[in-house]
Amino acid sequence: MTKYVLKRLGMMMITLFMIVLLTFILMHSVPGGPFTRDKQVAPAVLRALEQKYNLNAPLPQQFFDYLSGLLRFDLGPSFKYTGKTVNDFITNGFPFSGRLGLITLVFVLLTSIPMGVVASLKNGRWQDMLLMALATLGVTIPSFVIAAGLMYVFAFQLKWLPVFGVDDWRGYILPMIALGGYSVSFLARLMRSSLLEVMGQDYIRTARAKGISELRVITHHALRNAIIPVITVLGPTVANLLTGSFVIEKIFAIPGMGSYFVNSVTQRDYTTIMGMTVFYAAFLITMVFIVDLFYVMIDPRIKYE
Amino acid sequence: MSEWVRVQTTVDDREKIWTKPRSFAGDVWFRFRRKPTALAGFILVVVLLAFALLGPLFSPYSYSDQSLALANIPPVLWVSEVPNGNYIYITPSMKLIQLDRDGHLLGQLRKVHDDAKARQTTFTLDEQTTVVLDYNEKPAVLLGVDGQRNTQGKSIWNASYLLGTDQLGRDILTRLMYGTRISLLVAFVAATINMLIGILYGGISGFAGGRTDAIMMRIVDIISTIPLTLYVILIKVTLDNGLFSIILALSSVYWVDMARVVRGQVLSLKQQEFVLASKSIGSGSRTIMLKHLIPNAMGPILVTVTMLIPSAIFVEAFMSFIGIGIAPPMASLGTMCNDAMEALRSNPYQLFLPALAICLIMFAFNFVGDGLRDALDPKLKK
Repeated sequence: MTKYVLKRLGMMMITLFMIVLLTFILMHSVPGGPFTRDKQVAPAVLRALEQKYNLNAPLPQQFFDYLSGLLRFDLGPSFKYTGKTVNDFITNGFPFSGRLGLITLVFVLLTSIPMGVVASLKNGRWQDMLLMALATLGVTIPSFVIAAGLMYVFAFQLKWLPVFGVDDWRGYILPMIALGGYSVSFLARLMRSSLLEVMGQDYIRTARAKGISELRVITHHALRNAIIPVITVLGPTVANLLTGSFVIEKIFAIPGMGSYFVNSVTQRDYTTIMGMTVFYAAFLITMVFIVDLFYVMIDPRIKYE
Repeated sequence: MSEWVRVQTTVDDREKIWTKPRSFAGDVWFRFRRKPTALAGFILVVVLLAFALLGPLFSPYSYSDQSLALANIPPVLWVSEVPNGNYIYITPSMKLIQLDRDGHLLGQLRKVHDDAKARQTTFTLDEQTTVVLDYNEKPAVLLGVDGQRNTQGKSIWNASYLLGTDQLGRDILTRLMYGTRISLLVAFVAATINMLIGILYGGISGFAGGRTDAIMMRIVDIISTIPLTLYVILIKVTLDNGLFSIILALSSVYWVDMARVVRGQVLSLKQQEFVLASKSIGSGSRTIMLKHLIPNAMGPILVTVTMLIPSAIFVEAFMSFIGIGIAPPMASLGTMCNDAMEALRSNPYQLFLPALAICLIMFAFNFVGDGLRDALDPKLKK
């Protein structure tokens, strides 16, 4: 186990390094410097700016400076907003994004697993058909369409929920549904097929033969194994929620990291794009790592090579 | 007398196989069309292709024709009748649009006098007649001949712009056709490039095996842990706003799944006897790869490609929606949604029409992909 963890940690470090390198190369291959504007900047000003942002050093030197900054959790200054650093954006935005992400994750798990269980127990009947039709809708409709539709119906027409912002808990409802729609559908489908498979296995017949109630067979015997595939895809699900939040935060005007990232992308704020990408990637890789560890712990059949 | 007569047969007749032999493609088609959702998806794809490719030929407008005077006109209008027999539509911004009785838009009326105190505006209808718009109460209405508020009216279809106009007065139907065309083009080209890279990478990795395979797959592992949407966005930021750069950004990262599928197939296929047979008659690696391994792996490859198309459309719409899509006046369905987002409250049709188009495309390709998977490999069916 220790060996597996160490190996995975090593891989994580390599991946992170690759990500930083790749992001750095991409952002420095943009034609024109970050201060190329429609209005020419005076050469002296340009030199001062480049001095300030460490842009006149040779590229490898810049890369190592950036890397050592990262080790101190310093993602550098923003090019577009003077006096702001990328760390500011992250510390400002993360509470909102984190809260929305966490709420959505809980929502996804609490709806998708029961949906999948009900669909598989009522296999072929109208409950199954209805839930799976819903799930197909959720997988095919893009999140921004769901978001716009929900906003139009519940905020504009029925006026039940606020249109923008997250001043109180009601503000989180629509973003949560729009953001989680895809994952709910995907996990419900996965849960259904996995439980269907497990329910056909011999040990379930044994359990039934022992005279255990059907409810106990499902909760104590079937679900334990059926839930494993759902846990495996939790890593990608978190990734999905994270990238999905760019659009959702933009639509519902939530001041989270996603909206900072989208802003930096449209305004070409290169250091912010770079810093945020590295942060997102590092966050995700850590999440996937945790999910994998969890997965190895709950399923003794998995050998960690 | 028995009514039963013995039929004359020969041994040859009895040995003959009377049904027509079915080719692999025929077999796949037979299984494919038995699934209603797959068939519906296929028909939808054909309809969408026709809409995108042939539609613009029948449209009197181009995607960039603007008429600002006729901006934000919905597909169904609430109109009131005026003395010359035509209809008047009052826009939310208090402009009057004249329509003939069939619903063709004739243009905006000219404002002659605005009485801010009485909260009334006078417009000229033709040389002699004027109409008065009264905005004392909401909604604003025209004054009738008797000077009273004329609240009567009826809904009429917009005959000039069947699906209305957008915020710059461009025909939404025409823009939908071009938008669908661009979304499909991006998806098809990106999926094809991803397929080629994936086949090449996965094929080499699986065929070479050993250390080469281990290293190549490690690289794939690393790439697949990175959130690809982030990288599509990054690559898109470094490039310009053209169609080409979207395709390039999409094709540079999404080949990973394909590479894994192809590698898995090649690994299992290369152990089989027909490959050994081919090797024993002296075929080179190239021949084995191109003539034996890839054609045999074509089923899973095709399924992966049809699943790649909706995800490419999805990512393209996503990028356009956050504002790094194709440059105007060209539009993809995602940029149309993005443009319409600000005015969702007043002009919901501007967002829901392209959104509907995206959903239809996604449905069509997902259904076709599902159907194709079941048809190509019945063993996989759950």
